[in-house]
Amino acid sequence: MELLVNRYRNVTILAIALAAQLFLLAYQVKSRQEVRSIRVWAVTGVMPLARLLDVLHANTFGLISEYASLVKAREENRKLQDRVSKLQMENQFLRNDLSTADRARVLALFQARTPSKTVAAHVTGRGPDNSKVVFVDRGANDGVKKNMPVVTSDGIVGRVGAAYPSFSQVVLLIDTNFKAGVISQKHRIPGTLKGQGHSTCLVDYIQNQEKLEVGEWFFTSGDDLIFPKGIPVGQVKSTREGKMFFQEVHLVPSGLQKGLEEVLIVLDGVHQPLPDSQTVQAQQPHLMQPPPAEQNTSSGASRVIRGGVVETDADQVVDRYRRIGIVQGHPYGAGGVPNFNIEPPPPAPKPDPESRPAEPRGQQPE
Amino acid sequence: MSLLPAHLPPNAGARKYRLRPLALIIAPIVAVAFQVKAPLFTEYLSYLDPPLLVTVYFGLMRREPVSALFIGMGVGLLQDALSQNPLGLFGIVKTLTGYWTASVSLRMDSDNNMVRAIFAFAFYLVHQLLYWTLASSLLGQQFSFEPGEALLFAILNAAVAVPLFQLLDKL
Amino acid sequence: MPDPTIPADLEKDKEPEIRWVLKEDPKALTNRITLFRWVVLAVFLYLLAGFWALQIRDPDYYDELAEKNYVRSQPLPAPRGRILDRDGRVIVDNHSSFSLYLSRDNLKTDHLQTVCKAIDLDCEDLNERLRRYDRTRAKYEAINVKGELTSAELAFIEAHSGHDNYQELEVIQTFRRIYPRSGMLAHVIGYTGEISESELDSADFARYKQGDIVGKTGIERQYNDLLMGIDGQRRVLVNNRNKILKVIDHKGAAAGKDIRLTLDLDLQAVAELSMQDRRGAVVALDARTGEVLAMVSRPAYDPNRFVGRIRAKDWADIRDSADFPMMNRAIQAVLAPGSTFKPLMAMAGLEDGIVEEGSHAVCTGGAQFYDRYFKCNIRSGHGYMNLNRALIHSCNIYFQQNIGAKITIDRVAEYADLAGLGKKTGIDLPAESEGTVPSRKWKMRTQRQRWLSGETLSVVIGQGALTVTPLQLAHAIGGLARGGEWHRPHLLLDPPPALDPPRKANWKPDNVARVVNGMFGVVNQGGTARGAVIPGVELCGKTGTAQLASNDLIRSRKLGIALSDNAWFVGFAPRNNPEIVVAALYEHGEHGDRAAPIVRDVVKAYFDKKSRRPAPPLVARARDTAR
Repeated sequence: MELLVNRYRNVTILAIALAAQLFLLAYQVKSRQEVRSIRVWAVTGVMPLARLLDVLHANTFGLISEYASLVKAREENRKLQDRVSKLQMENQFLRNDLSTADRARVLALFQARTPSKTVAAHVTGRGPDNSKVVFVDRGANDGVKKNMPVVTSDGIVGRVGAAYPSFSQVVLLIDTNFKAGVISQKHRIPGTLKGQGHSTCLVDYIQNQEKLEVGEWFFTSGDDLIFPKGIPVGQVKSTREGKMFFQEVHLVPSGLQKGLEEVLIVLDGVHQPLPDSQTVQAQQPHLMQPPPAEQNTSSGASRVIRGGVVETDADQVVDRYRRIGIVQGHPYGAGGVPNFNIEPPPPAPKPDPESRPAEPRGQQPE
Repeated sequence: MSLLPAHLPPNAGARKYRLRPLALIIAPIVAVAFQVKAPLFTEYLSYLDPPLLVTVYFGLMRREPVSALFIGMGVGLLQDALSQNPLGLFGIVKTLTGYWTASVSLRMDSDNNMVRAIFAFAFYLVHQLLYWTLASSLLGQQFSFEPGEALLFAILNAAVAVPLFQLLDKL
Repeated sequence: MPDPTIPADLEKDKEPEIRWVLKEDPKALTNRITLFRWVVLAVFLYLLAGFWALQIRDPDYYDELAEKNYVRSQPLPAPRGRILDRDGRVIVDNHSSFSLYLSRDNLKTDHLQTVCKAIDLDCEDLNERLRRYDRTRAKYEAINVKGELTSAELAFIEAHSGHDNYQELEVIQTFRRIYPRSGMLAHVIGYTGEISESELDSADFARYKQGDIVGKTGIERQYNDLLMGIDGQRRVLVNNRNKILKVIDHKGAAAGKDIRLTLDLDLQAVAELSMQDRRGAVVALDARTGEVLAMVSRPAYDPNRFVGRIRAKDWADIRDSADFPMMNRAIQAVLAPGSTFKPLMAMAGLEDGIVEEGSHAVCTGGAQFYDRYFKCNIRSGHGYMNLNRALIHSCNIYFQQNIGAKITIDRVAEYADLAGLGKKTGIDLPAESEGTVPSRKWKMRTQRQRWLSGETLSVVIGQGALTVTPLQLAHAIGGLARGGEWHRPHLLLDPPPALDPPRKANWKPDNVARVVNGMFGVVNQGGTARGAVIPGVELCGKTGTAQLASNDLIRSRKLGIALSDNAWFVGFAPRNNPEIVVAALYEHGEHGDRAAPIVRDVVKAYFDKKSRRPAPPLVARARDTAR
């Protein structure tokens, strides 16, 4: 027996290693539990090195690009002296430098301007299996928690998928697991943003009758109790009438357009009005309730029905006769003889409070 | 086959590559870190699979299935931990890759650049195929396996493997 | 070849073993061992794969019930047909909505509180339902916790339901009914709901299956087969994370048919507004065809609250209300008709020759019949009464003296039966009441007693054991006014229903005209409903004031309040060749003249609308919901 084990030592060990991992896999799939500690170690081990690579990149690739532009400059204008080409190259390099500095400055400005409490984070890496997740260098130690929004000054980027001690995993908005409540800027049409696994996102649950224009902006609606209201999401790239009531709206997310280096994690969100809103009073931000608990207190048992279909003809006929009664001072089923052939005054703009109400939750006066 | 070093019997205890223990730990981590970081610079770098190349390298040079499989397992689990998958998927694939490279390398001249390139090429394909099989059979994930694309990336990884292995030789 | 290093004896010892080993080619042996190794490995892998499939990936696959779980059939719900009024205006519409399901497989109880708060659910109610489900249902059956999700709720659920978040949340698209507000037409239309266990066992619902949404009451139930579409379905293969792996097949849904009712929303609206804050019912029929033009029952309930899933508390409120809001009083309230029964008795007296040209009575406010004193409705008395004046002023003494004392109860019952009382009118609504028309046989059957002549005196003035529904009254008087021609009341206009020929009485037109003229006088000649005059319209009618039925009396004692008599009015117009007949019941309205303006308003609406035809631009708007 001992001989056998010795003889097949390698295979035995292989079998044990495989079995152990199969067991690990089975445990996770079956119990839907994470083995968090291993991930924490891995992230803590790998991410600092990834940051080191950043530094390396800045030096080596900076040199390479310097060289490339040097060659390019020579080809373009051989007659220029070394000095000139060098200046050019320097200029180019400086411009590059400036643009990154600009971006960082913009983000810093944005961070200072936004009423939400945020923490700046640097993107240190991305998932190894081509997944749409990235890692950032802020974690639970910095107050980051799962499901917190991640944004840049250009728009939303994703949400925190998992927070490790000093790093976090961010699920990008193009990941198929990403969904968020959004609203169109012009017509205030609410919908749900869904990541598609590629560069554009889908906005679902917008009825076919609703008007949307290509190029129209979408903002977060605050409905999902994750993102505060009023952050840009992206622009409509195309719309198409869908089969089952809803349009197929494709959106180019604005937050990922300029690459990902620095992001903000929203620790404590504050709703903001959508830009270009009609009234100025909406400028006052209102506090977002802690996600995802209380936001909803305003919602009653019956609420607006999507797409504005709130009543049938029957309701309108009753309203008409009610108005006829009011005009003539006629109490129905009593009093004098009414004339039902007069034209009643048009209905008051405000709907009957008894009706199914009109204001969707979270819609602040605008 | 000319690549088979006929003059070396399989168990001749040929030059057993002694790796410094530190390199054994640092190299896989750097490889994973590179895979995680590099695509942020250029999208093309996401087609490179340095963790796999490192696994193949150690398997090739250690010529000892047991240690190779453990290195593979470590690298794989590290990748798993950073991915959205449950832990174990990359682990199993890399464990097998490590074991197989080491087993096969016993019969090959592992210093030969051509051999190295062929190893990288072949094991890249094996790795992808295995990953695809396991992901779809164990986890029910569905993504397409495109042979043409895989072949192209295998060549790319093989090309990168040669200088990378030489770099690792220096460690 | 002997090895020189081994002593000969040892070598001898070893020889057999070596021979045994060398019996076969050692290479072949190694190959065999290798082969054996691979075979063992293959078998092991095969077993492992089986184990994995069984235990990890699809743990329920081989369960008896698991087929459903693994091959999930996703219903593609078919929208129900819309319900339109006679002009094609939409009464009941559909729209697409989303429902939240909790998958109990993945349920984490600490998530519940958050979910309940975020989407406004009664957490206790939900917990109770979860416990009930756990006892009675298979684990894989998801539980429907909320219908009619708003876009905000949908966004919340979608954003939180990923595989790394709240895995128990599932959203399913459904269609929702939109009913008119404030209980308008609630009883006629009814509402829909998930098919119940008992319904599944009944013949009416034999073709439906668990989970189907069917009509529960009213038109929704009556014409469920027409309204209900055929659900399509998409069968998909899912893994244990509910991820769709493959669509197996896809069958589109067929929408239900729209139906057009005989109801006229203009009349209905007026009738509804007239009954606001009142208890009772109104029924308007086209006397020429039996088409129901309006039907109101109050108090009502809001059927929109039944859409999706009604909260236990709301349901209890409705069910336990002392007002019985679920009862369709128009076809289910059986009450004494009071004096509204007199026109039929006048007809009986005339046709049977009991009432002659000179028949009269002198009303002094009451009279002794047999050994009991009967009071008239005016204490001071009506004075000299002939048939015409007796109808106009609703004199009880005239009817008791000239008809009640001379007619047998069985003859009364025959006339009542001819007019459609004491039996279902056959209207196309479920659960219609029959009412009661007493007769000798009836009393013997129900009370084992002989009929007393004195009781007939109560019945001829619409009291005693006689009870009718508002629909029966409208039907009876409408047929009478048309000279004895009763059409079955019905609500369906399109698709056209099969109609029986009308029931006819062989009455002398002169007799009919005498009764109709009396009823004309009730409104237009200073009668009991003089407040209901409509200039330019020959509205005829009859008031009725009926003592409370015994159950109402009991209820009034329970509530500690005194309830007044019920007020009735039944009217038709025009006098000749009547078109519309309207019956109004105003519970506890005290006197019939309080019910008359209700009928007047409805009749006025009818003639106003008639005068402005061709129809104003109140056409059905082709709203693009659910189509």
